[in-house]
Amino acid sequence: MKMMLKGFLFFAALLCFGMTEAQTVSGTVSDNQGPLPGATVVVKGTATGTTADFDGNYSISASAGDVLVFSYVGYTAQEITVGNQSTINVVLELGNVLEEVVITGYGSQQQKEITSAVVSVDEESFNKGAINDASQLLQGKVAGLQIYNRGGNPNAGAVIRLRGLSTIGANASPLVVIDGVIGASLNNVDPSDIESINVLKDASAAAIYGSRGSSGVILVTTKSGKAGATQISYNGQFSTSGILNQIDYMSPEEFVAAGGRDLGSKTDWIDEVTRDAFTQIHNLSAAGGNGSTSYRISANIRDAEGILLNNGFEQFNTRLNFSTRALNDKLKINFNTSFTQRDQQNGFNEALRYATLYNPTAPVLAANAPYAFNGAQFGGYFETLGLFDSYNPVSIIKQNINNGERRELNYGVDLAYSVNDNLTAYFRSAVQTTDYANRLYYRTTSLWNGGADSPVRKGSAQFYENNFDFQLNEAYATWRKSYDNMNIAVTGGYSYQKENYNEVYFSLGDFPGDQIDYIDAIEYSQDLLNAGQISANSARNPDTEIEAYFARLNMTIADNIYLNASVRREGSTKLGADNRWGTFPAVGLGADLNSFLGLEGVQQLKARASYGVTGNLPGSYGLSQEIRGWSWGGDGAAGGSTGLLRAANPNLKWEEKAELNFGIDLTMDRFSATLDIYQQTSKDFIINRIVDAAVYGFDRRFENAGQLSSDGIELALNYDVTDNYTTGIVLSRNTVVLDEYVQDADKFGNLGAPGQNDTFVTRVKVGEEIGQIWGPVWDGTVTDGSQNFVDVNGDGQLVVGQNNALDENVDFDVLGSGIPDLELGWSNQITLGKYTVNAFFRGAFGHSLVNTFRAFYEPRVGSQKSYNYINTELANDAIKNANFSSLYVEKADFFKLDNLTVSRPITDNVNLSLNVQNAFVITNYTGSDPEPALFDLLDGNPLAPGIDRRNSYYSARSFTLGVNINF
Amino acid sequence: MKNLHKLLLGFGLVGLTYSCTDLEEDLVGDLTQDFSLEGISTGAAGGGSDVLTAVFDAVRNGGTANHGGYFSVQSVSTDEMAVTQKGGDWYDGGIWLDMHRHTWTPANGPITGTWAQQYGSIAAVNNAIANSGLNADQMAQAKVVRAYLHWRLMDMYGNIVIADGSGSNAQSSRTAVFNWIEGELLSALGMGSSFDLTALESSSLGTGDNKYRINRHAALGILAKLYLNAEVYTGTARYADAASAAGYVIDNGPYRLSDASVSVPNLAKRPAVASDPDNLTGYAAIFSPTNENNPEIVWSVKYDEATAGGMNFNQMTLHYASQYTWNFQDQPWNGYVALEEFVNSYEDGDARKKANFIAGDQLDYGGNALVDLASDTASPEISYSISINELEPNAARTGGYRLGKFSFQQFGRPDMNNDYPIVRLGDLHLIHAEAVSRDAGDWSLALPEVNAIRARAGVSAMSSITADQFLAERGREMFQEASRRTDLIRFGQWGGTWWEKGASAEYRELMPIPTEQLTANSNLTQNPGY
Repeated sequence: MKMMLKGFLFFAALLCFGMTEAQTVSGTVSDNQGPLPGATVVVKGTATGTTADFDGNYSISASAGDVLVFSYVGYTAQEITVGNQSTINVVLELGNVLEEVVITGYGSQQQKEITSAVVSVDEESFNKGAINDASQLLQGKVAGLQIYNRGGNPNAGAVIRLRGLSTIGANASPLVVIDGVIGASLNNVDPSDIESINVLKDASAAAIYGSRGSSGVILVTTKSGKAGATQISYNGQFSTSGILNQIDYMSPEEFVAAGGRDLGSKTDWIDEVTRDAFTQIHNLSAAGGNGSTSYRISANIRDAEGILLNNGFEQFNTRLNFSTRALNDKLKINFNTSFTQRDQQNGFNEALRYATLYNPTAPVLAANAPYAFNGAQFGGYFETLGLFDSYNPVSIIKQNINNGERRELNYGVDLAYSVNDNLTAYFRSAVQTTDYANRLYYRTTSLWNGGADSPVRKGSAQFYENNFDFQLNEAYATWRKSYDNMNIAVTGGYSYQKENYNEVYFSLGDFPGDQIDYIDAIEYSQDLLNAGQISANSARNPDTEIEAYFARLNMTIADNIYLNASVRREGSTKLGADNRWGTFPAVGLGADLNSFLGLEGVQQLKARASYGVTGNLPGSYGLSQEIRGWSWGGDGAAGGSTGLLRAANPNLKWEEKAELNFGIDLTMDRFSATLDIYQQTSKDFIINRIVDAAVYGFDRRFENAGQLSSDGIELALNYDVTDNYTTGIVLSRNTVVLDEYVQDADKFGNLGAPGQNDTFVTRVKVGEEIGQIWGPVWDGTVTDGSQNFVDVNGDGQLVVGQNNALDENVDFDVLGSGIPDLELGWSNQITLGKYTVNAFFRGAFGHSLVNTFRAFYEPRVGSQKSYNYINTELANDAIKNANFSSLYVEKADFFKLDNLTVSRPITDNVNLSLNVQNAFVITNYTGSDPEPALFDLLDGNPLAPGIDRRNSYYSARSFTLGVNINF
Repeated sequence: MKNLHKLLLGFGLVGLTYSCTDLEEDLVGDLTQDFSLEGISTGAAGGGSDVLTAVFDAVRNGGTANHGGYFSVQSVSTDEMAVTQKGGDWYDGGIWLDMHRHTWTPANGPITGTWAQQYGSIAAVNNAIANSGLNADQMAQAKVVRAYLHWRLMDMYGNIVIADGSGSNAQSSRTAVFNWIEGELLSALGMGSSFDLTALESSSLGTGDNKYRINRHAALGILAKLYLNAEVYTGTARYADAASAAGYVIDNGPYRLSDASVSVPNLAKRPAVASDPDNLTGYAAIFSPTNENNPEIVWSVKYDEATAGGMNFNQMTLHYASQYTWNFQDQPWNGYVALEEFVNSYEDGDARKKANFIAGDQLDYGGNALVDLASDTASPEISYSISINELEPNAARTGGYRLGKFSFQQFGRPDMNNDYPIVRLGDLHLIHAEAVSRDAGDWSLALPEVNAIRARAGVSAMSSITADQFLAERGREMFQEASRRTDLIRFGQWGGTWWEKGASAEYRELMPIPTEQLTANSNLTQNPGY
C-alpha cells in the first residue's frame, strides 16, 4: 500500500508539467479501406501530439515549419511538412515486415533492428481448435521451442523448454512475461485473448530479464481495443474427442488362452473408464473507445471434458484492458486486469494404468462375480482381493473424488510519460495472486487408497491448499535521439519483484460408512481419536525478493548496422550476503549485408551475432542456509530436539548461462528465411547433492556442482508459393552435454514396484550427451523364460546386473536418446475461393521412449495370471521374466497432422471453421503417445528424459466446430 | 530542464521506496538454528523424554528394523533369510539376489543407504553433543550411542571415517576405528585407556534399568560385542575381556532371562481360532508388541505405531492376503522369507521355532482359509511352505516360512509397537559362553549357558558341543536380530555355500564403500577386491 501511495505521489508530480501553444492543422487519417481511428499525429521534434478520433479526424497545433508524423501500428509512418496547409489528409500504407514492431524486454524495436534470436508469432499463425492451454498455440511454430503435452489430459500443463536443457536444479521452463509483467501466469490468460507471442530465444535477448531469463523468455501481448465504434465479437468452439491410440493388451479370449484366470466375464476396461468427451468454449469480447481512450473487455467460458471419466474442468475468465491519455496526451495510462475461476475434476490417471493390467475376464460389478463376493463392502464393484497392485479401475474412477479449484487474479497499471521528444519515463506496478485448493476423497468402499478391505480404517480425505502472491514494481526511462546517420535509444531502470508462497496440507480418514461423502464431514473421522494417524503439513516460504538495475543501448548506424547492448545487475534473497549480486551483460551486433551487396529482390539480408549471460537459481529458498527439523521425545512429554535436514553453504553463488548466437535473416518479396546457430554454457548449476556428513553434519546441501553446455541450429522458412498457397517450415536441433558433475556418471529413472526397484533406465556421463537410455541389450534369444543379453564390450564376460550399471566392464549400452535429434513444424495455408485450409504437420525424430507398460506387463510372468498382459506386436511369449532391456526401448519418431482447419465466411460477419487435432500420427511406437518425455514424469528429474510412465494419460483426437461472429 | 528535475525527483522517490529491501531472507517457516526443550527425564523404563531424544531417535532411524537398511543388509546376506524374486515382484534390479549371493557392487542401494543412514544418525548425535548442554551422564550416553553406530559401520565397511564432530573426514583403518570405539566406551565407563572393571564406579553412566537409555550395563554389553569380534577386526583376540564385560552384566545387572514366569497377552489372538495362544510366554515375550518391560532387555530401540514408527516386519515378510489374518491397516509386501535349512536347524518343540516363524496354513480373522487368487497352484489356499522352489525368478509366492519373531498384533498398523533389543541378557549369555570357550580353547565351557538358553526354549540339554553346534545354537536364538552376518564371519562360514548361494571370496567380509561416498569424500579409498 505504501508503495502504491508513493506511486501516486510520483504521478502527481507529473501533473505539474507544462505545455506550449501554436496554430491549428486538421484533417483525416485513413488507409485504403477507410478511416484509422486512434492513429497518432505528432509534431516532429516536439512533444506535441494527438490521436485521430473515431472518424479518423484529427486536429493539432503546429506552425508552418513543423513536420507532422502520422503513424499507426502496422503501417508505414508518413512525414509531411505543414507549410501553409491548414488541412492535411493522409492515407497510410500497410507497413512491410521489416517495419513490424517487435516487443522486446522493456521496450520494442523494429524487426530489422533486432540482433538476437527473437521470434514473433501472431494470432493468424496460432494453432487452431479447442486449445485450453495458451502454450499450445505455439506448439511446433517456433524453431527451438519445445512444447510437449503428452496425452490428452485437459488439466495437464505442457512441458515447455527453449533450446534444450540449461539447468538441472532450477526452473527449466522459459520465463513468461504478459503485457510487460514478469513471471505472470499463463493460466490466467485465455488463449482467445492473446494477440501475439514473442519468444526471446538467446541469452542476449533474455539478459535484460537477468536471473529469470536463463531458460528463455516468452512475451505475451493480449488484445487491446482501439478508438472507434464498439466492436462485439463472439467466438464459439464445440469439440468432441476420443482416444487416438491405446497400447494393445490381451482380449479376454487371448488372456484365457495364455493361462489367465478366467473369471467368466468379458470386460474392455479401457472402454469402461473412457468416453467420447465434449468440450465447449465461448468467448465474448467488446472493444472500442473514443478520443484517446480505448478498452477491450472479454469473457471466456470453457467447459472441457477429458476422455477419462470424471476428468475435465469448467472455467470462467475475464480480462479488461483499458488505455487512456492525459496531460495533453503526454501521459499514457494502461490498466489491465484478469481473473480466472476454474473448477477442475482431476480424476485419476491411475485408472488408465489399472485398466490396462486388470483381468479382462473380471466383471465390473460385484453382482456378476463368479463366486460369492461381498459387493456392498466395495460399493457394488468387483475386486480381485489379495492381489498386489490390482484394483478395479471403474471403482477407482467412479467412487473417488479428486477436485481442484483455482482462482487467479492479476491487475496492473502502466504509466508512460513523454517528458520531451527524446525522453519517456515508464512506471509499472502489477500484482498477481493465485489460490489453489485440492480435495481428494477415497470412499470407505474404495479398495484403492480407501481401505475398503481394512477392518479398522476405511476412507481417507486429503486437503491441500496453496497461495502464491507476486508483486512487481518497475520504473525505467528511455531516451531516444536521432542524428544524421544514427539513431540511439538508451534505457535505464529499476525492477523490484517479491513473491510469497504458502501451503497447507492435511489428511485424515477412518470414516463410519458410505452414507455421505465424509470429505464434507471430517469431524466424524476416527483418526481424530487415534494417535499418529492424521498427517498435516504447512509451509510458508519467506518473501523471495529480487532487486535489479538495468541499462540498455540500442544503436542504428546508417540504417544498416545495428548495435544492442544491455546489462542487468541483480540481487536475490536466496543467496548469502557475499554472493547475492550477479551481473548479466549482453551485446549484439547486426548488419544488413544487402545494403552493401544490393541483391535484387532482397529486402534485407541481415547477419547478426550476439552474446549474453543470464542467471538462474533453484525454486526452493534458503539455499545457503541450514535447515533443521524438530522431533518430540514422544509420549506427550515436553522434551524434544532439532536435527539437521540440510547443511549450510554460505559460498553458494548464481548459476550462470553464457550464450553465443549467430543468425542470418533473409527477407524477399515472397520468401523469408531465418537461420540461427548457438552455443551455450551453463556453469555452476546448483543441486542438492550428497556431501560428507562427517564434515558438514548432514549429508545433503546445495552446491554449485557442475556444468552443462549445448549447441543447436534452428531454421525457419516461409514461402508464398502462389497467391493462394503459403507454406512455412521450422526445423531445430539441440544437443546438451554434461561437462562437469559431482561424479563421473550417474543413473536415474527408477522403474519401481512391483519388482523393478533399483532398476534405473537412464544414465548421465561426464563429457557425453544427456538423455541416454541405458541398459542391457537383448540378443533376440530366450532361455528358460529369460532374455539373453549381448556381451557388449566383447570381453567374454557378461556383466548385466543393474548394480553394475556404472561399472567399467558392464555390458550395457546406450539404448536410445530421450531427446529428439530433430524437430519439425510444417504449416500450410491454402485459399480456395471462400475456403481457407490450414494444415499443420509436426514431427520429432531420433528420440526413444522406455515403454514401461511393456517392461512391467508384457513378460508372461507365471505368477501373474490374474493380471492382464500387454500384447503389442513386439511381445514375445517365451519371455517370462521382467528384466529391463533394449526390448522395451522403442524408437518414437513421429510425424503427425497435428492441426487441420477448414474455414469459410458465411456472411460478412460470420465465419465458420472445422478443425481436427491429431488427425493422424505416423509412428512405430507401440505405446499411446510417441511425443518425447523431456523429464521424468514421476519426479521431474530433467536428467531422466525418455520414460513413458505407467500413469500416462492417453492421447486424444478432437474434432472442433468453430463459429466467429462480429456484431 | 525543470521537468527533467521533477522526473528525477519522482524516480528518486520511487527508488527510495523500493530500496528499503536489504534482500535478507527470513525463513519464517523453517527452523534454522538448533534448540532443545528441557524436558523431564523420568528415568523409568518406558519413559525417557529428554534432551537425548534426538540421540536415541538416531538409532531408530538408522535402519534398525525396516526395509532396505542396516537390518536388511545384515540379514539378507546370510543363511537366515532371503528376499526371493516372486515372478514380476521383488526383482528390483537384482539388489536382493546380489545381497543374498554375495555378488553386490559398490553401487548397491541398500549398502549405499546403510552407510548414509548411520552417518546421518551419527551427525544427529554429534549435534546433540555440540549443542544440547548435556550433563555428564547424558554426554556419556550420547558418546556410547555414537560409538555403537561407528561399531555398525566398522563391522560392515571396515575402514571408515571417524565422525567425532571435529569435521575431519580422513579415513581410518579398521584397527584405528576399533581403538577409537573402545576408547569412547571405556571413557564412558569411567575406565582409563584399558579395560578395568574396578574403575566402573567413576563412570558417569547410571545403573538403573531404563530400556531406552544407556546405562553401564548397556555400555558393557556393546563393549562385549566389540571384544568378541576383536580378532576379526584387528587380528588381536580379546575374548577374556569380552567374557568379563558380559559376565559383569550377567552377575551384577538387574536383568533376568525371560523365562516361563514372564508372560504378556497375545495381541494377535483371533477369538475364532482356538490354536492362537492367549499369552506369549518366555522367549516369545521378549519380542512381543508389549515387550517394553521385559526383564531380559538391557537396551532396546523404542518403536511405536504412532509416535515412533519404523518397524515394518509385518509389511516386509507377509503375503498380501495375510492382511486379513491380523486385520492390518495396510496390505503387506510379501518379501522376506526364512530359508528352509535354517528353519530345519530347530528341533520340533523348540519354543523358538514357533515364535520365530509364521508357518503352514493361514486362516483369516474368522478362521477361514486365506486364498491367493493369483496362485500358481490349483488350490488357492495360502500355506507358507518350509521349502522354497527357487530364489529367482519365479519363487512361489507362498514359499518359505515368514519372519514372526517380532510378533504382530490384531488391527496393527504398518508401523509396529515392538521394541527392538540391541543388548539383551540371552545374547550376553551366549557372548560370555563363546568368549570363555574361545579364550580357553574349550567349547565345553559353553555348555552351562547354552543349556540354560535351550532349557528356556524347551529343548533338551546338550552333553557336548562343537564350534559349529554353538554357532547353530546362537543362530536359533538370535534369528532376526541382525547378528548373523557378524557371527558367520567370526566362525569363518561367511564365504561358504548354502541353498542358492555359492562360495564367496574373503574380501566380501567387508562391504564395499558406496560409490557415491567415494565421490563425496576424496579421502576415501575403496576396500580391497571391489
